[in-house]
Amino acid sequence: MLAFFLRSLEAAMIFTFAGVGELVDQRGGVLNVGVEGIMLFGATLGFIVTKTTGSYTLGFVVGVLVGALLGLLHAFFSVTLRVDQVVSGMGIWIFGFGITTYIGSAYTGPLGLERLPTIGGLSPFFFVAVALVGVVWFVLDKTSWGLAVRSVGEAPDVADVSGISVTRIRYACTIFGGALAGFAGALYALYYNPVWNYNFLMGWGFIALALVFFSMWNPILLLGGAILFGTLWQLSLNPELLLPGLFSRYIWRTVPFIVTILVLVLISTDWFRSRWGGARPQALGEPYVKE
Amino acid sequence: MTLTGYRIRVVRRATLPAWEAALFSLLALVVGLFLFGFVFIFADASPQQAYREIFRYAFFNPNGLRLSLSRFIFLTLCTYAFIVPLRAGEWNIGMTGQLYIGALTGYGVVYLFGGKTSPNVPLSPWVVLPLMIGASMLGGALWGGIAGWLKGRWDVNEIVVTMMLNFIAFWIVSHTIKDGGIFMNPGGRGEGFTLPTSLRAPLIGGVPFTILLVLGLAFGIDLLFRRTSLGYQIRAVGLGPKAARYAGVNVPRISLVVFLLGGAIAGLAAYHYFAAVPGVYKIARDYNTIGDLAFFGIICGLIAQGNALATLPVALLFGGLSIGGRFAQGKLHLGFGVDYALMGVLMIILVAFQFFYRYRLIVDRA
Repeated sequence: MLAFFLRSLEAAMIFTFAGVGELVDQRGGVLNVGVEGIMLFGATLGFIVTKTTGSYTLGFVVGVLVGALLGLLHAFFSVTLRVDQVVSGMGIWIFGFGITTYIGSAYTGPLGLERLPTIGGLSPFFFVAVALVGVVWFVLDKTSWGLAVRSVGEAPDVADVSGISVTRIRYACTIFGGALAGFAGALYALYYNPVWNYNFLMGWGFIALALVFFSMWNPILLLGGAILFGTLWQLSLNPELLLPGLFSRYIWRTVPFIVTILVLVLISTDWFRSRWGGARPQALGEPYVKE
Repeated sequence: MTLTGYRIRVVRRATLPAWEAALFSLLALVVGLFLFGFVFIFADASPQQAYREIFRYAFFNPNGLRLSLSRFIFLTLCTYAFIVPLRAGEWNIGMTGQLYIGALTGYGVVYLFGGKTSPNVPLSPWVVLPLMIGASMLGGALWGGIAGWLKGRWDVNEIVVTMMLNFIAFWIVSHTIKDGGIFMNPGGRGEGFTLPTSLRAPLIGGVPFTILLVLGLAFGIDLLFRRTSLGYQIRAVGLGPKAARYAGVNVPRISLVVFLLGGAIAGLAAYHYFAAVPGVYKIARDYNTIGDLAFFGIICGLIAQGNALATLPVALLFGGLSIGGRFAQGKLHLGFGVDYALMGVLMIILVAFQFFYRYRLIVDRA
């Protein structure tokens, strides 16, 4: 049971990294629906580099770099070229899915390295994820940087007039979000599930995206949501812990996805929106065009 | 921006003439295929030789051509499943899930007629085939309809919902065809049961008859958007749900309708691939690799810019590239998934080209 709980927290840690990155991105007004693609890239390239060089450090560095690069690409498309952000994000997802399927297939199989060390049975990165949530919350809510990011996400024209560079902030947020998604992917492939397989990320990027909507753009609530979904995911893998023999193991695997839909529906209801709906960044998804 | 005495300005387009739009799509394709050549170079193959092999097999080899046409039917249907909601400004990336559910409901009909017992059961295709097609379309429509209804009723993000529905459908198929599921092949190899020989779809020159349905749909969807009130309402929602509401369009109903239609078309794609393409005739164990190919529909739909007739040549090209790519993969010793890599490269180029659909570069003397 303890092992189950620790595994759940580790799943939560990956959702948290990807989700916090996306959250910062969206607070700055840029929606990136391509998290899954960035995570696939971070996971696959990190996996290949670590497998060929034997160095975990290099794998993580490559994961972060490729994530940052894809974030930069998304920023270039959506901020500079002002392409529809959904189109660009979808593009990054399909790009990630297509390319990683091709380059990763030669490395299908386990990583075959000694597992990374743990602290009290948990990956040290779990504590990093929790600290990151605290830091991001503090920076966004209490510092002038955070104010700049929020103002760009809420009212870019006002921010622009007051001397904040909308372009620079949006690039910074999107690259930061990409780097974290790439790191989350690398962590998935190098620690949580170190076996490369066709499309082995199984929609975690999309769940992370849903978590951001669910968190109402609050990093602390995001951490809570991540723990909930981490637990659900582990439960769907080990249903015998809760209700042995009720459904087949395949049906259990659908549960986290069904719950994601239910949660999205709940937060989309009028009842919910009228109470807590004000948190959505006003300029989310809209390119900023200087008048 | 100025460059050696010339001024370059970016100007937002008010309108985009059709021929210019087509030109940009074509240009995006050419650039994408050019850049994809590097994939061959990385694999120590010459791009010219690779493309020659791909096109020769896909369009000039009788076997390859039949496969390309079957793939063309599949991709066209996946594209239509994508573009009908797209015209209303909504993203159906759930073709995959609608495809899986459509395959299950279609095979459900065969199961009810006792088709699982043996591949030699004599069943009347005149009775069973229409029911299969209907059931596949209905299954796909209902699965798509979930996303459309949620979008219309509460404005739930349809991208996340359709993606989640894809994974749910994926596991439902596994549940059904593996570990003693009701559709499991009696041979017990973790795949669906084989379609009885009596129910194999009629072929026209080696190509499933579904090609006629596709051509009919092409004109049907084109007419829908150009001539009918429903098509007008869909386009109005796509241009702006708020304005559409003031114009008296029932926006939630349109959301539901486009996803029902898209899902039904994806269901037809499922019937085509899993029950009409020679050599398949079952829900195979690796059904997810074909399911994910449905995402090609997104690319075709964006290149064709939501135009049902323009989809046909694009889907034919991609069908050929995908079949020829698999062939070249073996011949030139490339890794698995050349067609997925092509999908990725084309998609990202296409996104970059979106810029030109919306903005114009003007170069003049400073």
